[in-house]
Amino acid sequence: MSVMVRNSKQRKALWPYLLIAPALSVILLILGFPVYRLITLSFQKFGLEEIIAGIPVWIGFENFQTLIGDSEFWVVLRRTFIFTFGMVFVSIVVGAWLAHLMVRMNPIIRWLLNTTLILVWAIPALVGVSIWKWMFSYEFSIITSTINRLGFDFAQRNWFTSTFSGFTIIGAIVAWGAVPFITISIYAALTQVPRELIEAAAIDGANSRQIFRAVILPLLMPIYVILISLSIIWDFQVFTQIWVVLDSRPPAEYYTMAIYAFEKSFGLSEYGMGAAIALLMIVALLGVTWFYIKKMVQIGDSNA
Amino acid sequence: MHKRSSVFSNIAGLVSIVLMGFPVYWMLTTSFKKREDVLSTEPRILPESFTLDSYREAFSREGFYTSLRNSLIVVLITVLISLFLATFASVAIARMKFRGKRSFITTLLIVQMLPLSALIIPLFLLLTKLQVTNTIGGLAITYVAFILPFTIWTLRGFLANIPYDIEEASLVDGCTRLQAYRYVLLPLMAPGLVATAIFAFIQAWNEFLLAYIIMQSQDKLTLPVWLAGFTTRTGTDWGPLMAASTVTAIPVVIFFSLIQKRIATGVTSGAVKG
Repeated sequence: MSVMVRNSKQRKALWPYLLIAPALSVILLILGFPVYRLITLSFQKFGLEEIIAGIPVWIGFENFQTLIGDSEFWVVLRRTFIFTFGMVFVSIVVGAWLAHLMVRMNPIIRWLLNTTLILVWAIPALVGVSIWKWMFSYEFSIITSTINRLGFDFAQRNWFTSTFSGFTIIGAIVAWGAVPFITISIYAALTQVPRELIEAAAIDGANSRQIFRAVILPLLMPIYVILISLSIIWDFQVFTQIWVVLDSRPPAEYYTMAIYAFEKSFGLSEYGMGAAIALLMIVALLGVTWFYIKKMVQIGDSNA
Repeated sequence: MHKRSSVFSNIAGLVSIVLMGFPVYWMLTTSFKKREDVLSTEPRILPESFTLDSYREAFSREGFYTSLRNSLIVVLITVLISLFLATFASVAIARMKFRGKRSFITTLLIVQMLPLSALIIPLFLLLTKLQVTNTIGGLAITYVAFILPFTIWTLRGFLANIPYDIEEASLVDGCTRLQAYRYVLLPLMAPGLVATAIFAFIQAWNEFLLAYIIMQSQDKLTLPVWLAGFTTRTGTDWGPLMAASTVTAIPVVIFFSLIQKRIATGVTSGAVKG
């Protein structure tokens, strides 16, 4: 009897592992192994010759040393940080502002705005980039002609010769895609704030500004933390918008870390160097990611 | 939490609707315009002509049907495999206690945060070595890996909301554990399965970077990669590009509106209460 009980217990203990095994193996093969390979690759000289010979050449920290000594790397790094900071700032501020205004909108306008946001959110990134590329095209741009109609003289205009206007447009594309998610998430959270809390505060004599500061904002803090972390992670690695809007041939002034790593690997076949850049990207994001994961594991534990 | 509407919020709302909606409007109207109206240096905001020429031209363009078919097959395989695997894994983490559960959850979350543009380099080398570049299977399994963490996480959320008593009752009534899952839990999970299936569909349908690198031969393109190829050295066919963009966006917009609420609460689930 006791043997049977133990057997069935053991079998029971095996079940969860059998259930997660298939998913875990796919994840480890397609995502886990590449992370390991990325690390080894960044310490190797791995170009076309090495691929053909099949033998990587270990070179220690040489890739990293080359990068640190390369002024282009620092320019790209700085550009990426500025771009990320600007994008996170703009999309969170605009998104949050809109969400807080939505509470005070006429129901019809609110419904229309919500529908528009969902529509924009649903548009595939590549379709979005194509539309914006068309709106700012060289010859037939609706934006250029509208500006001209207002009395300016822009004539035909290549918006991407200046990196300032170019990055402004890229930023607009990214923000246009990101704001709907942020606004809808914050608005959803706002509508979940318990009524009683606000009423209680009002009875205690708090004015609406005090209610906002003391009741609503603390409740929304976790949402803001998650949205900001996600935005940093997403905006830091923007690739498609820059790549496609510049016809898959972005000039060096438009390189961000993601484009830089991609060009080094797939353009110049210096995979080791590309991997070193990519690894630095992951390290740069680690702090943010760590923070986010800790928060999510807490949530997972609290309602498991 | 709704308050009396204020004039300022309403005006800001209307302005936002116009600003956010205009690109979509411009795509739609361009796709229905006559060629000479599209290629005008003084475009009008209100459309003056209506024709389906751009759609005809887009559909007859080389590679449209091939890439549409490729996209559909990749999406179908991705959805089926990821649902299958995610269902198993989510039952384990939502319903069972086991050693290493926390590490498994942490792994899922870490993996979700890995920047794709950083992983693409070793991933490409791996898939080349396995000789699965330019194959539908290779792309689909890659999508599965990227989608699994989110689908497992979402399904776990659904399961956590189904009271354990229901299963227990069926066990008392003489069901085996497997029967309890099959006949009691699975039907209750159905809405969650539909939502995650649609999520997987959207992700696989929209994805660009991986497909761009993995599927390089002309007969293996997916729709987004095919779309990106509209700009050639001689210029861009704007009318047909907008028509093709509309066609690519339609299925996503439909599915998306069905599960939008779930995704919004899924990403931030529990955050307000926690």
